[in-house]
Amino acid sequence: MNRASLHFVLAALVAIALPLFMRSGTLASEVLIFAMAAAACNLLLGYTGLLSFGQGIFFGLGSYAAGLTLLHTSLPLGAALALATIAGAVAATGVGWLSIRRQGVYFVMLTLAFSQFFYFLAYTFKDVTGGDNGLLNIPRPAIGPFALGESWAYYAFVAVLFLLVFAALQRVASSTFGRTLLAIRDNEERARAIGFPVRLFKITAFAVSGAVTGLAGALHALLIGVAPLSSIEYHMSESILIMTIIGGSGNLFASVLGAGFYVIVSDLLSSIWPRWLLLLGGLLVVVALFMQKGLWGLLERLVEALQNGRKSPVEAPVRPESEGRSI
Amino acid sequence: MLNRRDLLKLSSLTAGSLLLPAGLRPAFAAGEAITIGAPLPMSGPFAANGKFGSMGTAMIVEEVGKILDRKLGYLEIDTEGKPATAVRKVQEAMERGVTMFSGGILSSEALAMGKEVAKGNGVFITTAGADEITGSECNRATFRWSVPTFGAIEQTVRPLIEQLPNAKRWYTITPQYVFGDGLLNAAKAIFKEKGIEHVGNSYHSLTEKEFSGYLTNAMAAKPDALLILNFGSQSSDTLRQAVSFGMKQRMTILLAWASGLEQFETLGPDLMEGVYFGAQYWHGIDSPFNRELVAKVQAKHKMNPNYAFASAYLTTKLLIDAAAKAGSTDGPAVVKAMEGMKYAGLTGEEEIRAADHQVIKNYYLLKGKAKSAMKDKDDYADIISFGKSFQSPEEALCKMA
Repeated sequence: MNRASLHFVLAALVAIALPLFMRSGTLASEVLIFAMAAAACNLLLGYTGLLSFGQGIFFGLGSYAAGLTLLHTSLPLGAALALATIAGAVAATGVGWLSIRRQGVYFVMLTLAFSQFFYFLAYTFKDVTGGDNGLLNIPRPAIGPFALGESWAYYAFVAVLFLLVFAALQRVASSTFGRTLLAIRDNEERARAIGFPVRLFKITAFAVSGAVTGLAGALHALLIGVAPLSSIEYHMSESILIMTIIGGSGNLFASVLGAGFYVIVSDLLSSIWPRWLLLLGGLLVVVALFMQKGLWGLLERLVEALQNGRKSPVEAPVRPESEGRSI
Repeated sequence: MLNRRDLLKLSSLTAGSLLLPAGLRPAFAAGEAITIGAPLPMSGPFAANGKFGSMGTAMIVEEVGKILDRKLGYLEIDTEGKPATAVRKVQEAMERGVTMFSGGILSSEALAMGKEVAKGNGVFITTAGADEITGSECNRATFRWSVPTFGAIEQTVRPLIEQLPNAKRWYTITPQYVFGDGLLNAAKAIFKEKGIEHVGNSYHSLTEKEFSGYLTNAMAAKPDALLILNFGSQSSDTLRQAVSFGMKQRMTILLAWASGLEQFETLGPDLMEGVYFGAQYWHGIDSPFNRELVAKVQAKHKMNPNYAFASAYLTTKLLIDAAAKAGSTDGPAVVKAMEGMKYAGLTGEEEIRAADHQVIKNYYLLKGKAKSAMKDKDDYADIISFGKSFQSPEEALCKMA
């Protein structure tokens, strides 16, 4: 079994295991929704070396697109999700097209600026988005003969979409396009010198990432029945980035781990201690200092140690093969 | 060491520990504890309000102990101040059999939770500010204790105009979203009626922290009164900066939507002296129920109840009383019992209006005292006036589904 197949099997196992080990269908759905968003973020961060704070834009736009479609038209659920995906892709193309004109910290600043821009757009056009109150009353219609009202029924729907999206992202990552993204990430000048249209590749990566994030945003809006303003805040971008970094940016399944860990641990900790964000901050420091390959890297080390029949020492700050060099 | 409150919380957590296999999921059954959900922002920027809200709910739950021959408990739900998290956790609580919820301090999360509770046939009472809660977004499951923007302005701006007949020029500072516009429109209507000149308004965003530019504009307009229409830390920041600009000496300042004691503790008497405040609740209210609550809280917690504490105590009590009256914890039965309920409340006689689920209660105009005039450490303000002002359900655009 090659690595891609192994990762897909692991993703499928996660989708199957969540209902067995979790009490809440809503929380389980949220894990998979954010796993999609984190995997899409990973396509930019891990595969293309682009640290984007724009993911919240695509997530929020997906939420609003699906919500507005279902509230104001008679289009079916599939069409609402498709429109949300397109909205995410179009916005990401625009944001990517403008942001990749600069590199490093200026690129990050541009994505942050766009994040604020879209947030204030949503905040200002309250007649469309509901402003601070959010877009309320988003229905969750049936898909064909399948009602999605019950939380585990909706989970099943999300799980199927998650696996389809995961497989598609894997396909993208392992294609010539995906391998070229790695080449661009590792040495952009060389990739350009060889003749690759670097800008076009980066914009395409943005578009794919935006499309998947838009879909995740739509699924989230359907999950909670509201598209809150917080969906398009830069905090959303921050959360998606944290999930991606905690999981590890080396492969797409790592993002699933990161999202699952972040969502479940946040939920548990917030039930126990109001200052739980302190712990999360501490965890990020640990990941940044000692686990640069994230949870996936830790798992790899453990498996390796087990195979070697000895315990792994504390992980040294190793620069992972797939870690982005430029931002 | 665990106190009783922690134990109540932990027992709720244990009952629904997140990672139990599906087959082992606990179910609520007859004879088991009645759990009241308390969805509050326990972490994040509004955590202080959440903490006192939780204390209020805990106190009344412990005090009542048992209804319908079943033990009473509560489930503290940390909304993190985020509507999405709030809705998800309320969904989870409903899946565990919780039908009654008291909480939702922030408007955005309260609106979203109200919709969710309605979908699940539960009942929800909140103290959040958005007019839509008992207005255009009203629903069968949602009740609101706090006075909407219309009443807050009617009971602060109108009496102040009457007290200060020479204050003919007013300037407003407004957060630019639905809540702020609600307050501003109500104020404009009174200005028009009373022949007051509205010499200017500064809109600011929900994330604004620096108000000096708006205050400079206000000073340039030379108003007799400054009406501050934002709330929470934004209103504290606006007032601090206004006082540091010397505006208190040049004009009357009214902060129409203050949080009460929790805000006054951060402002202090030097800033507050001579400034007018609008408040939903003040521990100095002279009503039998409030006097009783203040005495109990002082005995138990060695403090005076603030708005978050007192309102959570009362709203949870309303749910408990309604469930006892209905003989059931089913959402629709509790809703029916609450509709039209009249009771001796924190602000005197209060009534839950059946048509839109708005509690009809007093709103207060307070005036900050000098430090030398304070009788105790919490005696920050005097009540100047109070009263009940509400739009009809039709005027508030409530069409109950």
